[in-house]
Amino acid sequence: MPSEPTDGGMSRRSFLRTSTVLSAGVAAVAAGLAPLRKLGEFSSVDEFLQKHYKELTPNEMKAVLARIEGEVQRQYGIRPHVRDYRPMNGVEFVYALNLTRCVGCRKCVHACVAENNQSRNPEIQYIRVLKMPNDGTFDMEKGDHNYASKSVPEPGFFYMPVQCHQCKNPPCVKVCPVKATWQEPDGITVIDYNWCIGCRYCEAACPYFARRFNFTTPSIPTEQINTNMSYLGNRPRYKGVMEKCHFCVQRTRAGRYPACVEVCPTGSRKFGNILDPDSEVSYILKNKRVLILKEELGTLPRFFYYFDV
Amino acid sequence: MKSYLKFLRRCAAVSLDGDWRYYAWIGFLTVLCVIGLNAYAKQFVAGLVTTGMSDQVSWGVYIANFTFLVGMAAAAVMLVIPVYVYKKEDLHDLVIFGELFAVSAILMCLAFVTVDLGRPDRFWHLIPGIGVFHFPGSMLSWDVLVLNGYLLLNVYICGYLLYCRYQNRKPAKWFYIPFVFTAIVWAISIHTVTAFLYVGLGGRSFWNSSIVGPRFLASAFTAGPAFIILALQVVRRATSTSTGAGDGPAAKPSMAIACREASLADLELLARSLPELESVSNDERRACLAGATVLDAHPGDVLLRQGVMEDDAFFVLKGRVVVRREEAGRSRVTRSIGPGEQFGEVSALAGTARAASAIAEEPAEVLCLPAESLRRLMRNPRMAEIVHWRMTERLMITDSSLLILRGIVQVSMLINMFLLANEVFSEFYNSNRHVSSWRYLFLGLNGYHALVPWIWTAVALNVTAMMILMLPLSRRLPWLNAACVMCIVGIWIEKGMGLVIPGFVPTPLGEMVEYLPTQNETLICLGIWAFGLLSFTVFLRMAVPILQGELSRANEA
Repeated sequence: MPSEPTDGGMSRRSFLRTSTVLSAGVAAVAAGLAPLRKLGEFSSVDEFLQKHYKELTPNEMKAVLARIEGEVQRQYGIRPHVRDYRPMNGVEFVYALNLTRCVGCRKCVHACVAENNQSRNPEIQYIRVLKMPNDGTFDMEKGDHNYASKSVPEPGFFYMPVQCHQCKNPPCVKVCPVKATWQEPDGITVIDYNWCIGCRYCEAACPYFARRFNFTTPSIPTEQINTNMSYLGNRPRYKGVMEKCHFCVQRTRAGRYPACVEVCPTGSRKFGNILDPDSEVSYILKNKRVLILKEELGTLPRFFYYFDV
Repeated sequence: MKSYLKFLRRCAAVSLDGDWRYYAWIGFLTVLCVIGLNAYAKQFVAGLVTTGMSDQVSWGVYIANFTFLVGMAAAAVMLVIPVYVYKKEDLHDLVIFGELFAVSAILMCLAFVTVDLGRPDRFWHLIPGIGVFHFPGSMLSWDVLVLNGYLLLNVYICGYLLYCRYQNRKPAKWFYIPFVFTAIVWAISIHTVTAFLYVGLGGRSFWNSSIVGPRFLASAFTAGPAFIILALQVVRRATSTSTGAGDGPAAKPSMAIACREASLADLELLARSLPELESVSNDERRACLAGATVLDAHPGDVLLRQGVMEDDAFFVLKGRVVVRREEAGRSRVTRSIGPGEQFGEVSALAGTARAASAIAEEPAEVLCLPAESLRRLMRNPRMAEIVHWRMTERLMITDSSLLILRGIVQVSMLINMFLLANEVFSEFYNSNRHVSSWRYLFLGLNGYHALVPWIWTAVALNVTAMMILMLPLSRRLPWLNAACVMCIVGIWIEKGMGLVIPGFVPTPLGEMVEYLPTQNETLICLGIWAFGLLSFTVFLRMAVPILQGELSRANEA
């Protein structure tokens, strides 16, 4: 241990020593932070200070939507129309998927990517189709997630697409520390991309592998941008935030089907309002044999698998 | 306030001062910190794509280290409980080391969570009152509260106790004892809450097991005290010199020290620096003077010698005296004593051999009282209180205090292994679908086995450490140290990577995707560890001279 005086008047030598050490330290830290020069435009003050979706007044929302349109235009060179689609009264959306009919063509996956402005590089997809063997088990560990068959369906297999189940008791919403994700009155679990802090706790909580994280800035070719955008839906996402299937809010809240339903060539995908007793989904739940994935977890999905026979 | 600022300034000054070993160590850690900062800057620009994480394995080494370090922070209570609940006075001064370590560990935890965030710029969304805080719904919001609360508690307790010691006044019980007990409960809570982060996820059967909380505590109370055992020995070594080469006053060969009979005037002088003596009446004082002498010591005079049986106690009237203790061929200053303070009272009262030597540092006048007179003085309650309090104030890192910690590590490791065995049994014996992650961890699954060598290394280290700890062999320090290193490394693997990664493999949809940290990610981890050790080193560098009495208000000039 030192025997020199440790305090009081600093000698010239120790002053020189301290200042040399300090300036070397500052220089080293500056050198360490050098990569930040490549950061470019990271976040505007308005974006940084933006309030939570639910706390925005209509006027503030207008300003936010205009700002986001500007952001998209700057980044992708195309002026979008960003709106805040609100849920309709008396509507609760439910999805039904016919496992007997699905042939595993993955047209739904591609339609979803195109509709929802999902990053092409790195690839982000909301729908995962499992090729499952017809071997008397229902073991997802035997499922092939990356099948590249020349033609589908292949004999001896059935296909099971999985996407967000829009649970009534969603584990992802429960765990979010900042309420950046929540369940809307029409049953859709949405994310405020401007509020998410990117902790990925929701991703760990989801039992259906439905959530995706932007590990880097997403990229989409300008000509493939879908300019009909919604705040809680398909507007381009930021680096470092979560995203997920939102039942195409920009379509379904305007009375249209989700892109995956519309594109399905076999009619395996059904979508509608469960509060309407005459809807197709109400008929299916009343008359068909239904499978709920991981029912034992008590998540109460609004996504049902059903069978023809 | 002004005096507090001066205290902080002197602490800062002392942290920049040290021998070449200190500078080398600090310099090494600073370089690692800057490298880590550079790696983080890269990650900040490019995003978490620079890590090995994916949508399938969405947490990696950051959260693994976070989990491990929350445990290390919680383990500080394992020093507090023996002292404040079971009154093991041996460990009294060591509690502060545990709490300072807790502060460093929490700082590392916060850094690890921050680097794991996709949007660290939005951290303010997490601040209660300013952002939108999902409390009590989200376990992560609980974690934000308990971790920051624990940080504040420990900073407060350490700061208060050290400042009191600096001012050489007795800490007011009401200002810290309630906080100490709160911190004990709080420590358990930080690790329980961290366990609940995992346990609360019903979709991940690997974590959704009620035994995870107890396992976390058991492993924390193994690795934490193991680390403290090693750290204390480093402090002991760094603050000592090999015998003979000592700094400060060298002990001169024993010679007669000028000595005269003590008078009431000497007690009057003592009362000026020891106000508690004022409450002793003149009659009592006179009675105490029987056999009392005043020694007039020159620098280097040895007032008492380690190992000798004597029954006198001493009070410093003027000047300064250092107390040095020799252990295993090395000697270190345990206290530096000024007017009004005592030494030699422990052996005088207990009739044991001197535990250390006392040497005059400056020309000093020292009052020498027979044990009988000291007892008489201590019939006065205020005198008894101050003498007792000062008795606990010594920086004795004795082997016996290390062995108390050994007992804790021993029992905790047994419990930890028992709980792990329980978990392994219930999963493998049933062999239902939940066993997949366990299979992946221990045996490999469908041709994927990245974690298998790691977990078996951890098991081997933990089992070996447990055996060594159970044998009397580990009462010898080299064996104890080896076992401690094994505990720390074994548990770091077991509850870090071994707990976090298998939770994601296979995914809930049965997909197999493995995880390996990238180089950039590893550099960030090293940087954060270096930052934590740097902060701990600096804290110790400030705390040790204060505890020794070398840095105190008395020598502010």
